[in-house]
Amino acid sequence: MNDERALHDAPLHDTGLHDTGQRGALLHGAGLDATRAVLGKDLRLLWRRRASWLAAATFATLSVLTYAFAFDLVTDDVRPLLPGVLWVTFLFAGVVALGRAFADEAEQGTLDALLLAPVPRTTLYVGKLVAYFCALLAIDVAMLALATVLFNVGLLTPELLLLTTLGAAGYVSLTLLLATLGSRVRSREVLLPVLALPLLMPLLIGGVRATGAALDLPHGDAPWLLLLVVFTAWSAAGSALLFPLAVER
Amino acid sequence: MSTVRRLVLASYAARWVVLPPLTGVAMLALIVGAVIVAPREAVEGEVQRLFYIHVPAALAMYTAYSITFVASLAVLWRRDLRADAVARASAGVGVLFTALVLATGAIWGRPIWGVWWAWDARLTSTLLLLLLFGGYLLARGLADEHDEQAARFAAIFAVVAFLDIPIINMSVRWWRTLHPQPIVLRLPGDQALPNSMLAVLAVGVVAVVLLALWLIALRAATEQLAQRTAALRIAMDRREDE
Repeated sequence: MNDERALHDAPLHDTGLHDTGQRGALLHGAGLDATRAVLGKDLRLLWRRRASWLAAATFATLSVLTYAFAFDLVTDDVRPLLPGVLWVTFLFAGVVALGRAFADEAEQGTLDALLLAPVPRTTLYVGKLVAYFCALLAIDVAMLALATVLFNVGLLTPELLLLTTLGAAGYVSLTLLLATLGSRVRSREVLLPVLALPLLMPLLIGGVRATGAALDLPHGDAPWLLLLVVFTAWSAAGSALLFPLAVER
Repeated sequence: MSTVRRLVLASYAARWVVLPPLTGVAMLALIVGAVIVAPREAVEGEVQRLFYIHVPAALAMYTAYSITFVASLAVLWRRDLRADAVARASAGVGVLFTALVLATGAIWGRPIWGVWWAWDARLTSTLLLLLLFGGYLLARGLADEHDEQAARFAAIFAVVAFLDIPIINMSVRWWRTLHPQPIVLRLPGDQALPNSMLAVLAVGVVAVVLLALWLIALRAATEQLAQRTAALRIAMDRREDE
C-alpha cells in the first residue's frame, strides 16, 4: 500500500500517466523494470566477482571428487550412488553460492537503497532469485557434465536437466529468503546451512528418488516429481510472500 | 467470539494460580495411573508404560510448535517483541518435548524393535523437527533479546519451518515407514486399547500438555523480564551519557 502511494507521488516517469486508471499498469511496468534492474545488477556482480561464485563451483567439483575417492565410485557400479552424490553436491554448493547473497548488499548499504525504490518488494526478490537461479543452475549443469565424464554415465539428458532446473528453482527460492539474514546476525555463515538443510530435506528426497527413476534405479512408487513440483511451488510462494517482511526495517 | 476471547484472557490472567496446582495433581495422577492402575501389556511388558509419556509428549510438542507459529505471526503482524518472547519460550519447550519423545521412543524401541533408532518416517520427521526448531533457537540466541530485526527473521524462519512440516512428513512417509500405526484415534466400536489404558492415556495428555503450558508461561515471563531489563539498561546508559 505504501509502495503504491509512493509510486503515485514520485515523478518516476515522464510518460504523463497520472490518472488512477493507468496506475496499475504503471505499477506493473515499474515492478518489471525493477526486477530486470536487480537481475541485471546481480548477474553483473556475479560475473565481476567471479571468485566467490567460482569458489562454489570449485567446492562442488571437489565434493564430487571426494565422493569418488570415499566410495570408490570409479570401479564399482556407480549408478545406485550417483543420485545421492549429485544432490548432496547441489545442496552444499548452493549454500556456498548463496551464503553471501545479501551480505555484501547489507554491508554496502545497497539493500537500504533498493528498499527505498517505490516498487513492490517482491519484485526485488524475483530479480535476485532469477540471477542466483542462473548461477546455481550453471554450477549444477557443470556438475552433471563433470559426472558424465568421470563416471561414464549419460547424465545430460532432458529429463535430468528438467529435474535439476526444478530443484535449483526450489532451492534458490527458499535459501535466498534465509540468506536475508544479512549482516545483523553473527556467524551467519554457519547458520545458513543449519537453518536451510533441514527445510530442504523434501527437495533432497524428491530429487534423489526422481533422479534414480530417471536412471532406471529402484526408486519406490511415490510421485517424486510431484513432490519436487509441490516443494518448489510452496517455497516460491512462501518466499515471495515473506520476503517483504524479512527485509523490512 | 468476544466470549471466547474474554475466557482466554481470563484464563491467561489466572495462569499462575491455576497452572501449578492443576499440573501437579495431573502429573501425580499420571504417575499413579501409568505405574499402578494401567494393566501390564501382554506382549510388550512393562516397557509399554512409556507409551503414557511418549504420546502425550508428542502432543505437547505439537502444541508448543503451534504456539511458536502463532506467536511468530504476531511478531510479523503486530511488531510486538512480547510475542517474540512467547515464540522463543514455546520453541524451547517444544525442543525439550521433542527430545523427550525421541528418548522415550528409543528406550521403547530397543527391546521391541531390537534397535535404538530406525530410519522410520515418523522418527525421521521428528528428528527433523528437533533440528528445525533447534536451529531456530540457535539463530535467535545469537542475536540480542531486543534486536527487532533478528526477532523478525526468527519469526519468518519459524513460520517457514512450521509450514514445511506437512511436506517433510509427506516426503519422509513416502521414503519409508515402520512406526506403529495410530491406535488411539479410532471409532468407539473398533478400539484397540482397553478402557483402562485409554483413561490413563487421557490423564497423561492432560498432565503433560498442562506441564508444557506452564513451562511456556514461565519461560515467556522470564524472557519478557529479560527484555525489560535490557531496555532499562539501555535507557540508563543513555541517561548517564547525557
